[in-house]
Amino acid sequence: MMNKLNIIGASLAVLFASSGCVSRGNDTGYEYAPDMYYSKGYEPYNQADSFAVNPYGMSMRVPVAGSIALGKSAFIYPMANTGEGYEAAATQVVAPPEGIDLVETRGKYMYNIYCTACHGLEGNNDGKVFQKVASLKPAWKGYSDDYIKNLEEGKIYHTLTYGKNNMGSHASVLEPMDRWRVVKYVKLLSSKGAVSTADTTLAVANTMSN
Amino acid sequence: MKINRFKIWAVAASFAITAPIFAQGAPNAEEGKKLFDANNCGSCHALDKKLVGPALRGVHDRHSNEWLIQWVRNNKKFRESGDADAIKLYNDYGGAAMNIYENLTPAQVLDIVEYIKTAPAPAAPKTDTAVTSSDAPVTDPTTKYVLLILLAVFSIVLIVLARVRNTLKRIAAEANPDEYPELANKGSFMQRNLPAFMSKMNPTVLGLIVTTLIAIPLGIYGFNFANTEVGVQKGYAPTQPIAFSHKLHAGELEIDCKYCHSTVEVSKSASIPALNTCMNCHKGVQATEKYNGEISPEIKKIYAALDYNPEELPGKQFGDNPAPVRWVRIHNLPDHAYFNHSQHVVVGKLQCQSCHGPVQKMEVIQQWSTLQMGWCIDCHRNSGIDVANNGYYAALHDKAQKDLKQNQNNSKYFGPDGKVKITPAMNGGLECAKCHY
Repeated sequence: MMNKLNIIGASLAVLFASSGCVSRGNDTGYEYAPDMYYSKGYEPYNQADSFAVNPYGMSMRVPVAGSIALGKSAFIYPMANTGEGYEAAATQVVAPPEGIDLVETRGKYMYNIYCTACHGLEGNNDGKVFQKVASLKPAWKGYSDDYIKNLEEGKIYHTLTYGKNNMGSHASVLEPMDRWRVVKYVKLLSSKGAVSTADTTLAVANTMSN
Repeated sequence: MKINRFKIWAVAASFAITAPIFAQGAPNAEEGKKLFDANNCGSCHALDKKLVGPALRGVHDRHSNEWLIQWVRNNKKFRESGDADAIKLYNDYGGAAMNIYENLTPAQVLDIVEYIKTAPAPAAPKTDTAVTSSDAPVTDPTTKYVLLILLAVFSIVLIVLARVRNTLKRIAAEANPDEYPELANKGSFMQRNLPAFMSKMNPTVLGLIVTTLIAIPLGIYGFNFANTEVGVQKGYAPTQPIAFSHKLHAGELEIDCKYCHSTVEVSKSASIPALNTCMNCHKGVQATEKYNGEISPEIKKIYAALDYNPEELPGKQFGDNPAPVRWVRIHNLPDHAYFNHSQHVVVGKLQCQSCHGPVQKMEVIQQWSTLQMGWCIDCHRNSGIDVANNGYYAALHDKAQKDLKQNQNNSKYFGPDGKVKITPAMNGGLECAKCHY
């Protein structure tokens, strides 16, 4: 007789337990009013309908060939991604004449994000990636190496833009002015040999490039 | 000048040290291996694989020793001298010029060649590769539901059968009370089935009590369910098309979050990196040591998506037939709520981990926070923001300073502990239209 109540209680307990909120893997769980969750307008990385010229249905499209981002026309990079282009960059690619500001703040900040993983905080080629995969290391030992000390800024800029050997292009993550700041900061590290590792705070990020 | 002189001495010294070896005239493979490593030749060359430069095995058959010495020591001068082979080699590799190694003596170059000559061939890939099967037990959700339905059906059948048995017994007992003394004259249904204190109660009151007792836990359960389950995807950790490990990349290798999520400071969205970001490293990193000399299957997926052939010449890096990787989206705010990463990262100076949790420890990335509105509001009410030295908050900073001066003892800018605390809420961080418009 009381058994029946026990059964009800037990099944309620099971119901509670089975609904625990733990890591749910591939399961998104229940959704309320999904039409309010998924935008009709394209959000970044949303899927669009695929059609002939967009077979993968990407909402993000490649700009028309020759498009120039607003305000970037002064930075069309003239050199080709070839050995000749690299050599020519030595003399023909020079920093804007008005000079590069914020080298030790914004330049350092960007360097610490995009370069340290391989080249290390002080440019000694001792970043964690180089430590783990030593075969990626370049022939020179670090920025204090004469090779970098004597390397023209234009060539470093060219390398950041197109990549060289094992290094890839960082043009999509470093805007032209930031690229120059990083170039100058690399030169600064190179001339100092070693600099203080005092942390530049996120405050620098407020100063957005051009 | 001082350095140069030192270098000259260093070169001279290295001559002196290695001179006895040259005297014997035989190139030394061991010495060559040391030189090969010391000059990081391996960053562009492998013995059996094209990297930035050609595969080196058999190089002594392709070129004479004199040619190799000239090429290695100063390939630029050599090319300019008009050597056809040298120019062709340069052009074949897309004009990727080799560094100049005039620090190497001709004899040292020959040491390196000797090392290449004598280096053991790579072990043939093992044929008995144990099939690392992905035969994990398949958990099909429909199986679970079918089992639950079957359980319910069988329970009902069981209960019905039990009741039929009881009814038959009772009928038998009415006809023949002597044979079933325990069933005869035992009163009504409630009297028979419920304990005495219940069967004595007014049935309406009893019904109300029982209903309440069932309704309260069910209500609590339902409330919790709606609050923590429906539309809340905390813990969602889908299988991604490429098994990318944040634990390895962000944790062990300490790659900055912004290296890949590079638009987080300038955009609403933190951006999923394009595959060229992957290739900044994975052009060279193929994890072959973990897969019997084969390229890691996960890295192969990057190559496949880019239609990239690692064996091909560097001049033509990515193929013409790319197929984007379909990453599975994890964090999704409802369409009616607006969130902007740059506002929180640049102005609010939040660390990524504040909302995304210890990503650097996650092998499989998962949603860490609930992303519920209450979660947003809690933070906007309680977290102090640094308004000094932050151009974005200049107006708020001035206002707060003025208020603190006027109401020295009871300014609203004092937090509960008596210290000045300025929260996003004081700057309109709770206005509906800030996020819902």
